[in-house]
Amino acid sequence: MIRLFLVLILAGLTTVQAFAAEDNKTEFSAPQSETGKLTIYSTTDLPAMKPLIEDFQQTTPNVSIVYIEYLTNELNALAAEACRKHQPLGDLLLSSSVDQLLKLANDGCATEHNSPETLRVAEWANWRDEVFGFTYEPAVFVYNSNKVPPAEVPRTHVELADLLRERLDYYRGRVGTYDIRLSGIGYLLAFNDARQTTTVFGRLLESMARASAVARCCTGEILEEVARGNLYIGYNMLGSYAYDAAQRHPDLRIVVPRDYTLVLSRGALIPKGAARADLGAAFLDYLLSERGQSVARTNAFYFTESGELPPGVDGPQNLKESGVAQPIRIGPALLAVQDRAQRQRFIEDWAQSMIELNSPAWMRE
Amino acid sequence: MHPEVARKQPSLFARLARRISFVLGIGAALLVTAAWYYAETAANKAYDRLLVGAALQMAESLSVEDGILTARLPTSAFELLGLADRDRIFYRVIDTHGQTLTGYDDLKTPTPLERAQDVLNVEEGFYKEEPVRIAHATRVLADPAVSGRAYVIVAQTNEARLALTRELTLRATILVFVMSLLAFAGAMLAIRYALQPVERLGTEVRSRDPHDLTPVSVDVPRELDPFVGSINHFMGRLNERVDLLQRFIADAAHQIRTPLTALTAQIDLLGAGRLDKAGRQHFDRVKERTSELSRLTNQLLSHAMVIHRADSVQLEPVSLVDVARRAYRAAIPITVDPDIVISFEAPDERPIILGDAVSLREAIVNVIDNALRHGTDQRLEVRVRASAMQGFVEVEDDGPGIPPESWARATQRFATSKSHEGSSGLGFAIAQEVAKAHGGTLSFNARGRKGFTVVLTVPLYKGEVK
Amino acid sequence: MRILLVEDTLDVGEAIARRFEATGHAVDWETNGRNASEIIDFTEYALVILDVMLPGMDGFEILKRIRKSGNIVPVLVLTARSEIDDRVGALDLGADDYLVKPFDFRELEARARVLMRRHTGGEATNLIKCGDIAVDRASRSVHVGKREVQLKRRELTLLEVLVARPGRVFSKDELLDQIFGFDEAANANAIELYIGRLRKKLEGARANIVTVRGLGYQLVPGDAP
Repeated sequence: MIRLFLVLILAGLTTVQAFAAEDNKTEFSAPQSETGKLTIYSTTDLPAMKPLIEDFQQTTPNVSIVYIEYLTNELNALAAEACRKHQPLGDLLLSSSVDQLLKLANDGCATEHNSPETLRVAEWANWRDEVFGFTYEPAVFVYNSNKVPPAEVPRTHVELADLLRERLDYYRGRVGTYDIRLSGIGYLLAFNDARQTTTVFGRLLESMARASAVARCCTGEILEEVARGNLYIGYNMLGSYAYDAAQRHPDLRIVVPRDYTLVLSRGALIPKGAARADLGAAFLDYLLSERGQSVARTNAFYFTESGELPPGVDGPQNLKESGVAQPIRIGPALLAVQDRAQRQRFIEDWAQSMIELNSPAWMRE
Repeated sequence: MHPEVARKQPSLFARLARRISFVLGIGAALLVTAAWYYAETAANKAYDRLLVGAALQMAESLSVEDGILTARLPTSAFELLGLADRDRIFYRVIDTHGQTLTGYDDLKTPTPLERAQDVLNVEEGFYKEEPVRIAHATRVLADPAVSGRAYVIVAQTNEARLALTRELTLRATILVFVMSLLAFAGAMLAIRYALQPVERLGTEVRSRDPHDLTPVSVDVPRELDPFVGSINHFMGRLNERVDLLQRFIADAAHQIRTPLTALTAQIDLLGAGRLDKAGRQHFDRVKERTSELSRLTNQLLSHAMVIHRADSVQLEPVSLVDVARRAYRAAIPITVDPDIVISFEAPDERPIILGDAVSLREAIVNVIDNALRHGTDQRLEVRVRASAMQGFVEVEDDGPGIPPESWARATQRFATSKSHEGSSGLGFAIAQEVAKAHGGTLSFNARGRKGFTVVLTVPLYKGEVK
Repeated sequence: MRILLVEDTLDVGEAIARRFEATGHAVDWETNGRNASEIIDFTEYALVILDVMLPGMDGFEILKRIRKSGNIVPVLVLTARSEIDDRVGALDLGADDYLVKPFDFRELEARARVLMRRHTGGEATNLIKCGDIAVDRASRSVHVGKREVQLKRRELTLLEVLVARPGRVFSKDELLDQIFGFDEAANANAIELYIGRLRKKLEGARANIVTVRGLGYQLVPGDAP
């Protein structure tokens, strides 16, 4: 019985992978005669990247691009495996789980890249000229304005914890967040939340657990559910996705917390020995360039380090100036995040706290 | 003197400069090497502290929870290591059973952990083919459930250490370089200053009138005293010799000429009137030999004189025409055969040459005298000419001249040829000597339609005439 | 004429004195330089023959004194010295002529005669010309164009006579009188000899001595025919 179960699980995993490899692969053929093919492995949703890829092809029309999308943990596993076997995975890795990219670079799986564009990268978003942060994405609260009365809209982490405690019945099962067992980004954000303020995070975790918070694998799902009104509040959503969803669903509102806001920079890394490391570098340079950043601001990631918040977002005028922003530094400290004992322990604690977790049926097995 | 000895040696300054720069170069190289060594030590020390600190923090974070050894690696430990912002970090936590609790399974210390005691001992090693510094920390656990030793190994690549070492070394190198330059410049100034007396002495000696044999009087440092002393001693001796020679020639001139004159006087007094035919023949021979002796004596003394004067008399601007005219007057006896047409021709301009009038006159007198005695038949012409750069004194006679094959011999001392029997041959030698001393030449023009010409050529003086 | 001889070598002094006395000159012979210098101060001489190396005072010193006192007596210097270290010669010190010992006595006599004659002839520059022939009576030199031609005493006298009156015909007797005076015996052949020599020495001059048959000679300016 158990054996059969395992076989089923393995089969399921294989299909998931096959599915990922087939369906999440998009090819952008070169506008002009092709001289090279750039393969990007990414955890970023295609719609966000599409404007950037297409604009890049305007500047470099002879390159066709294969864009393959994975979940953060899947991508990390694939890349680590590829590095161990010295079979580089694609020409460029883009991941929101910078801790994983950093671990990869620390293990010697990255190629150093220097260019005038990389000099523009903030010091906290560059490690060894191997891992670069190319976005600026605050972790925000989202809520459905039909379900959450204006008076109750939480603007700090404490307010959120208090709200859940005070209106427990109303919000029970109506708060969504990442399932950090599945989502690397969720784990990264949760870990950094815990580092920020142990007490506040403990309280929040406890409140969410008591309110039977819903854990989901991905930002998209939570945003979808909040937009539909199935969930009322989403916690620690990536600002870019949230803003994109808010534009499509007017009921979906965004709050940038005023006590502290974690800011994540999506990372990029050129694998060691990449077949077309030059193209990877070219695309990376494009992402970091004025032009790429401008396209990202208007079409893909909306938030910038220096600029003001996009219209319609509730929060401090300017993240950087308000001092609220807590960028997750791309540096060795992320190795502590990636430590397997640490991770296991943290996730166990988290899972224990969220004992009442209302997770999808297939995950509960 | 051997040519090797005469080969040009580099200057004292260049020698000293070369040696000092050599020594400074070696010194600088040693200092830079030392600086590198110290910088490396300092960089290692600095970053090793971080490494040990991180290892200790990690070891401190080990705890036993529910009977299980648990590692909650503190982020601060990694942040500490992150101060070396480009370095990769590897770590491994080993539990009491020697099993890897977390981190890189294959990370090892170069010396086995059981033997390593000193926690502060950081070692060199390799991990993932990269040179790393490896530190470890030991945690002794005495929990009933878990007891024994747990270890934390932390390794870090060397980039920050190298960067710091390089930076420190570079700064030290710049300092060393600047100091070396300063030292070199200082040394050069000092040498230049120290060599100044030598230069001064050199200038003094060089700018001296070559005929000035008085002692050199320049203030020189003590070290140069023997040198100056030698110069002065040598000068003194040379001066003595010159004086001696001068005195000797002067004495010889007077002492030989006076009796010789007396002899000719006696011959003159004797007269030939009262002698018989045979006696007259002998008398004529005595007279002839006496005059030959006189002439030879004069030429020998004259030769000695011009040689001596060439070395001892400073040349002055003189008019070539005046010198030639005086020589012409002195050389042509009033008692010369009246049938000979003798003339002197000079240009309107006055060619000036740098010369010794006495020697030049002697030279021209000898050339004219030679022509008169051995060349001239009916005609003797003395001409002074000048071209743009040279002055010429030409003595032309209508005699047979000297055949070209004998020209080279004619200027040698006592060279006689058949056609010039009785000639002492010193006349041309004297003229040649003088011409050479004046940077000129003595040459012959082959007998043409008019006659045979001896030409004394000297360069013209283009400077100011006082 | 009266000549002062300053010479300390007896043999030489004797020979010189005898030679000049033989031709009718009075010779005062001094052997001491100092004495000689004093004598010159109050005795007038037609010529001083001065040896350089002398006891008492050397010849150059005496010469300097003579010229310093404004005495223009002709001085002929005899020297046995080598000019090995001389910066100035006898001529520079005001000697009229010099001879280096040992010398030919006939030459000494000839030079002395020239000096004495020049002295009595007066000092004024006296230049006479015909064609490109120039005769300076004071320095007794003759130039043909740029060329200075050496002439003997009688040749010069002859030329002087002819040049003084160009074109005039001089008879042989006239010339004989002019050149030799009345006391010297000479015949017309001598004139022919001198005329011949002169012609040779003036060759190339723009004036010619023309023989006027039966009458004599004349100097005619113009290029040679």
